[in-house]
Amino acid sequence: MHRQNEIKVWDPLVRLFHWSLVAAFTITWLTEDEWMALHAYAGYVIGFLLLFRLIWGLLGSRHARFSDFVRSPASVGSYLKDLLRLRAERTLGHNPAGGAMIVALLITLLFTTLTGLLAYGATGAGPLAEPLFLNAAYGSELFEEIHEFLANFTLFLVLFHLLGVGFGSYLHGENLVRAMITGNKRA
Amino acid sequence: MSSNTICFFLLMVAAGSLQANDLEAVLKTYEANGAGPFSSQQGAEQWQRVVTQVAKGESRSCGDCHGADLKTPGRHAKTGKRIEPMAPSVNPKRLSDAKKIEKWFKRNCKWTWGRACTDQEKGDLLLYLRQH
Repeated sequence: MHRQNEIKVWDPLVRLFHWSLVAAFTITWLTEDEWMALHAYAGYVIGFLLLFRLIWGLLGSRHARFSDFVRSPASVGSYLKDLLRLRAERTLGHNPAGGAMIVALLITLLFTTLTGLLAYGATGAGPLAEPLFLNAAYGSELFEEIHEFLANFTLFLVLFHLLGVGFGSYLHGENLVRAMITGNKRA
Repeated sequence: MSSNTICFFLLMVAAGSLQANDLEAVLKTYEANGAGPFSSQQGAEQWQRVVTQVAKGESRSCGDCHGADLKTPGRHAKTGKRIEPMAPSVNPKRLSDAKKIEKWFKRNCKWTWGRACTDQEKGDLLLYLRQH
């Protein structure tokens, strides 16, 4: 399976998580307000994926763990400076900026999912409808607005994530997208 | 009163007057798309129209959820949940925000009539609702 001089960096569950999240997020984005049942199911999938990733960040393989890629804001800052000077060090797992992006994406997606559940619950649907909104009026403009803002912010983060992947691939002459598919990187 | 308070107050007034103009702006947009002139009578007829959705095997109308009296709260036909009154005279938030007008037309035309409303229909409905 490995090309010469390649080693396994991303374990199968990290890769499965990543591409499932891409698929589910794309579905939620496209079905938004058009196909609510499918939107909600894709949202549940995102919620479970996030829960899995939080656990896997503690128990997963070496480069899947938060301890491997969560760095101090100062080291993220100095890494970004190095990046702009085209002198950023190559890392096998997430680089400091990439690690910060993973944290930002996980947190934003978590709150997007949560507000989605709340907005859905306010219309009398989903798991929060009975415990939280039994006698409430129909719908919640507030939760919908926050949910929409967070979803847009997630997409904004995804664009920067892609920009970072492209830039890192260029800088170190490697295909980082392929690495997330095969799991392997140059040693 | 500090200058900050005055600034905040002026901003709120500006935001309020912008909201009041939202409905006019929405109607202007429909007209720019070739719809109009709008009629509240047409709007009333559409509001009361009972549409049979063959796919769902159900007949629906606006009043199924919003109730017969626009000045009192309605009840959602499926969930039984309370819906704030539609009449701007008792619920000033109604018809005051362009984005929300379009959002609810999009959802409710589909739910009630099984299709999107035309700009002409939306303009007629807005004129009808505005009277209350």
